[in-house]
Amino acid sequence: MSTTSSTGIQVARVGDIDDGEALRVPPEATGHDDAVAVFHDAGAYYALDDTCSHGRASLSEGWIEDGEVECPLHSARFCLESGQPQCMPATTAVRAHRVEVRDGGLWLHLGPGEGAAG
Amino acid sequence: MSSRRRIAVVGAGLAAVSVCDALRAQGYDGELVLFSAESGLPYDRPPLSKDVLLGKARREDVLLRPEQWYTERLVTLREATVVRAVRPHEGGLELADGTAVDADRVVLATGGTPRALPVPGGDDPAVHVLRTWEDSVRLRERLLPGTRVAVVGAGLIGAETAAVAVARGCRVTLVDPVAVPLAGVVGDTVAGALHGRHTTEGIDVITGGVCRLEHPPGGGVVLRLAGQCRSVQADLVVVGIGIRPATGLAEAAGLHVDDGVVVGPGQHTSHPNIFAVGDVARRSGHRVRHEHWEAALRGGEAAAHGILGRPLPEPGASWFWSDRHGSRLEAVGTMADAERTVLRGTPDSGAFTVLGLRDGRLVAAAAIDRGPDIRAARRIVDRGIPVDAARLADESADLRALLKR
Repeated sequence: MSTTSSTGIQVARVGDIDDGEALRVPPEATGHDDAVAVFHDAGAYYALDDTCSHGRASLSEGWIEDGEVECPLHSARFCLESGQPQCMPATTAVRAHRVEVRDGGLWLHLGPGEGAAG
Repeated sequence: MSSRRRIAVVGAGLAAVSVCDALRAQGYDGELVLFSAESGLPYDRPPLSKDVLLGKARREDVLLRPEQWYTERLVTLREATVVRAVRPHEGGLELADGTAVDADRVVLATGGTPRALPVPGGDDPAVHVLRTWEDSVRLRERLLPGTRVAVVGAGLIGAETAAVAVARGCRVTLVDPVAVPLAGVVGDTVAGALHGRHTTEGIDVITGGVCRLEHPPGGGVVLRLAGQCRSVQADLVVVGIGIRPATGLAEAAGLHVDDGVVVGPGQHTSHPNIFAVGDVARRSGHRVRHEHWEAALRGGEAAAHGILGRPLPEPGASWFWSDRHGSRLEAVGTMADAERTVLRGTPDSGAFTVLGLRDGRLVAAAAIDRGPDIRAARRIVDRGIPVDAARLADESADLRALLKR
């Protein structure tokens, strides 16, 4: 369902992801080396690499609140904007990406230096 | 006392690494030295009774921190280095080779050692415990299909080990004197479902106490049960009946020790320059030592704040998890603190949550395969949000909604 374009990859429509929920976009859809979690928190959209930098959990299944996501496995929290860890046990950031809302769609722009392989 | 600032951490488990992490995060820029009795980079223990034992995780998969973490944060790891004594008056440590190490502050993170089965034959070579990487690897090599495995103790380690053994094709018997282990912590419903699952997965579950281990002429081990005619034949025995806190260094240093090194809120011991964290520490006024993973993590953070004299982080409700038979148990708080409980979901479905209430507030939660309920419950407990039992039981209402203000 993803549409690739030079101006991002459409991963969903506005309204597809409820507030406090996230969508896991598999690597096949982006050519990225990890799945990407697209988060909806209080009207804003964010995207991070889906795999927690500490364990092997999917951040798309995490708890989303106050601009942060908490890993479902060991409760490490990451800033949705920057991917920076906010508490232990995580100590390294997850890569952050940009989400653009355009024409009723959510368009993913992979973060700098981590461009799509395909 | 050294003119340079140095903090020495004795031990290299989660609590030890967490102290270092939090000290650097708080801006401590003196020396940090971690003394590990084992070789190799420090590792996380929960996988030892799960993926490591299953053969799904290698050592590099379970490291607490990658190698670069130590270089980036200037944490000196002294591997395979045994600390022989803590010298509070001289300000430092003495290593097994006699070397003296100066330190302004010492953090004891020595953990514990598995309790041996206190019965005749309890020290048999066929008896295994599970605490270290080596323990797990040694046991893993012996969990071969058809092997008769007797697991003594059906708490977290024992239950997880039994589940792994049966998944690996062993013939497993699980023995515990308590009919439904963990009931005090997670409540009867969740504990009953968890314990019952062992039987449906093909484990022979026995309620009873082992009183003697014997060697029959044909090989293997026989576990005699107190007051029962029945005995258990096994090729190997795994004992998971808790740990003894490793308080030797603390006792020799004259610290206050009483079922663990007794510590205050900032993890300080009875000596102002010595702190204790993790399984070896017992918080003053707390009846038990908190041996869970998260308690070690938070204790490490609290110690860093205590050492630096910073205000302590809010403690929050306790939390732990356990994985067995492909299901995950998670619990917040202690169900024994609740005066009534509310069920969310149906136990027959395998995935459900029990919420414990007291005075109109949530005080505990336990769930099987319902992580989102636990994430929400933990916040509801910590924030002291008033709750309504009927609303909590209503599956169509998302618990997260209670947190929206």
